[in-house]
Amino acid sequence: MSTSSPDRPAVDPAEANAQAWALAGAWGTGDRMTEVEALMWRSERHPRRSATISVLMMLDTAPDWDRLRAAHDWVTRLVPRTRKRVLEPAVPVGPPAWVTDPAFDLDYHLRRVSLPGPGGMAQVLAFAQAAAMTPFDRTRPLWEGTLIEGLPDGRAAYFLKLHHSLTDGPGGVRLVSLIQSRHREHTHDKPVAPPRPSEPRPDPRWLAVEEVTEQVLTLPSAAGRLLAAGARVLAHPESAAASALRFAGSLRRTTAPWSVPGSPLFRGRTGKAWRFGVLECPLADLRAAAEAAGGSLNDAFAAALLGGMRRYHERHGAELAEMSMTMPVSLHKSDDPMGGHEWAGATFAAPVGLADPEERIATLRGIGLTLRVEPALDGLSVVVPVLNRVPSAVRAAVGRLPTAADLSASTFPGAPGETYLAGAKVERAYPFGPLPGAAVMAAMVSQAGTCGLGLTIDGSVVSDPQVLVECVREGLKEVLALAPDVAGA
Amino acid sequence: MTVTAAEVVEAIRTGPAGPEIGAFFDFDGTLVRGYTAGAVLRDRISKGEIGALELARLIVAGLDGTVLGGNPLTIGDISFAALRGRTVDSVAEIGERLFVQRIAGTIRPEVRDVVRAHLRRGHTVVVASSATRVQIEPVARDLGITHLVCTELEAEDGVLTGHSSTGMLWGERKAAAVRAFARDRGIDLKRSYGYANGPEDIAFLGSVGRPYPSNPHPLLHRAAREYDWPVLMLREPRSPGLRAYAGTVGGVVGTNLGLAAGVAYGWLIGDRRRGVNTGIGLSTQVGLGLAGVRLNVVGEENLWKARPAVFVANHQSALDVLVLGALLRRDFTAVAKKEARLDPRMMVIGAVLDPAWIDRSDLTKAKHALDGAVAKLRAGISILILPEGTRMPTPSLGRFKKGAFHIARQAGVPIVPIVLRNTGELAWRRSMVVNPGTVDVAVLEPVETAGWTADELDDRVAEVRRRVTDTLADWPREVTTR
Repeated sequence: MSTSSPDRPAVDPAEANAQAWALAGAWGTGDRMTEVEALMWRSERHPRRSATISVLMMLDTAPDWDRLRAAHDWVTRLVPRTRKRVLEPAVPVGPPAWVTDPAFDLDYHLRRVSLPGPGGMAQVLAFAQAAAMTPFDRTRPLWEGTLIEGLPDGRAAYFLKLHHSLTDGPGGVRLVSLIQSRHREHTHDKPVAPPRPSEPRPDPRWLAVEEVTEQVLTLPSAAGRLLAAGARVLAHPESAAASALRFAGSLRRTTAPWSVPGSPLFRGRTGKAWRFGVLECPLADLRAAAEAAGGSLNDAFAAALLGGMRRYHERHGAELAEMSMTMPVSLHKSDDPMGGHEWAGATFAAPVGLADPEERIATLRGIGLTLRVEPALDGLSVVVPVLNRVPSAVRAAVGRLPTAADLSASTFPGAPGETYLAGAKVERAYPFGPLPGAAVMAAMVSQAGTCGLGLTIDGSVVSDPQVLVECVREGLKEVLALAPDVAGA
Repeated sequence: MTVTAAEVVEAIRTGPAGPEIGAFFDFDGTLVRGYTAGAVLRDRISKGEIGALELARLIVAGLDGTVLGGNPLTIGDISFAALRGRTVDSVAEIGERLFVQRIAGTIRPEVRDVVRAHLRRGHTVVVASSATRVQIEPVARDLGITHLVCTELEAEDGVLTGHSSTGMLWGERKAAAVRAFARDRGIDLKRSYGYANGPEDIAFLGSVGRPYPSNPHPLLHRAAREYDWPVLMLREPRSPGLRAYAGTVGGVVGTNLGLAAGVAYGWLIGDRRRGVNTGIGLSTQVGLGLAGVRLNVVGEENLWKARPAVFVANHQSALDVLVLGALLRRDFTAVAKKEARLDPRMMVIGAVLDPAWIDRSDLTKAKHALDGAVAKLRAGISILILPEGTRMPTPSLGRFKKGAFHIARQAGVPIVPIVLRNTGELAWRRSMVVNPGTVDVAVLEPVETAGWTADELDDRVAEVRRRVTDTLADWPREVTTR
């Protein structure tokens, strides 16, 4: 959809470390949730409207437990938010706050399990999907890491689960990169977080009073903005009406595509039974396939998923021309620096019925180009503050509307080079998203030149998730065959 | 980044050539200003062919489709259904009529240059549109475009079924149709051109390597900035303002007063011909001056190289007579069809110039009138003839009638072609109003008729016509302003 790519050019490791650490120290120091974070926090109804994102890393050997624990201890001291919990104001006058958890216990957040043989991939996934389905303790910092041992040949896995209000996908990748290292040996001379001034013990009533005070103080300027906007409308009523209509139209186009009936196979889903599936492919091949068809990596990824969906539906005797699909769309130029990126989810009619993978990529590219300039995508920031001040039941109902898509997909840029976790090499990384109303949620991250695809499948309507994964594998193969060297081989 | 039509034409001229390069033009809002569907609907409403309920549904569907994010294809479905039971021929005829009456005047003038530049490079030029063949075909033909990727109406035994065989080619569906066309014809889309004005065509523009958003909608403009697409700004066809109305009235009054003054002068001095000459000079100068029309003439010396002569000119506008009068100035008259006698704009001129009126329905009378014209030539009076016989809806040249060439051959005088480039733009065929502006005129070298035989006349006519066509396609450079 966008032209962003899950990898970034290689950089000098030492410099990269310094940059990442400096970023991490400054990141998440704000003590108030943003409006988007607050929306995700407050509208969460696990598991049907879950905000759990997770990543599974496959390791070539079991890491040293003490080093792993030390790394986590170091990161939680460097990134303040990983030791903070959420405090709701006594009355919902503003967003919740992040407050230091005085009872923070690393041993609650970092766990260690051993699979009871034979410890195959199916068993690892079964563990991961169960762990992801377990709701967070909302009174503690919103992350949990688990070292999974007992895999064949002394191998291991690491599963990290995060709440979406703690960070987004790219932020999660940054956080993971902090726990990891760029070589097998221990990294010395890491900066130590400066001791932070102890905060006064906050309580919900104090927070509510403080937020009301803040809002009263900002009232004059808000009123001024409102008056200015009102004056604009009075001065140019026609253009104001036209842009309001355009916005309304755009909102309808980006949230509920008019022409797409839901898949008959995915009807009546409950979102209560998550099934994980994984796939992988070389990043360079997928990129070459995308280029051959004139699309971006995301277009090729989406085309592969849709190819899989078409096959799955054919196997079950269902024929679909289009499927509602949600994907993040980049709001700004793809050549912006990382910091300038803003993403918004858009739901559209995806060409699932197109058998030709090249034409599918071209169609997805066209849809992406069209969606990226929709005014309503920027408009989420306008709607969210309002949503955060209505009772939560109403909010949960409203929030459910735009997420009725059958398929949801997103990609994140991952680590460009090899990474290690406390001495163990990370061979693959598979990201998993929640099921916010979708029947299938697909996420992709690249790890050292290999794309890892994680599928979260709604088991209440897909009784044969392994068949669906197999179908997506065929869809991926079909897209990869577009690459010139793969096709010629 | 904004580019002009001239810059795009230059880029096309220096770019790759050949049929594997495509040039895809959106129709409504790109080749023509506004929506041609509006002209079709207005026509049906004015004839009472559209019911109140149907109209209400169209309005709602139109609003819903373009503004509220609803299904824009609905409006198409409703229109298709309304055409059920009509014959293909009758619908095509409506298209032709609407083209001449309304649509031709909305073609963006600079689009011609861009289309011509593509055709010269041998590109595959295509109109790609959600409009139907009925609306597009006359315009495409006028521009020399032979390929159409458009919403096709389904027909059985020449009768429309009320369905479409392609579906409405709107948005992504149109982009897909363009890609399919390119695949079938072996067109290299990465090196092809696309022109469109609306945000629904972002996907279409994204399918070609050289997209040109043209006079874009705000949302498409935003996309152009986002994706670094050059924005092509095309000049709009003129629509009259207050200056144009005032100028037209002044022009008509001035022309008539000038002629009347000339005739009065001739009557006073007892020399009718001299009076008429003075009147023509006065009236055309005053008329054009008041209407705000200036002339930019190439080859003016050819007007005086050989007199008497038969002057032939292409005809698009009521303004042509005034412009030609200002050019020929003295000692000429005209041959015109009898029907034009009743045109109020021709009445004064007819009374004063004493033209030869041709009755096309009566061959003997027509021959007789032409003999009169030959006699006038022999008496030293030049003759002006507009060989297309009627005003053309666009700058594209019509068929030439042979009368002018017969007369010239019989009288043994040369033929002087006069090419008018843009009188149609200042005063369109159907319009009574003249817009201020500059008319480009090219007077070509006199063509000697001595030695022509009756047999080879068709070839000679074709040759003169070709010289006019060439001049329109490749306007001569050297310029003198008067």
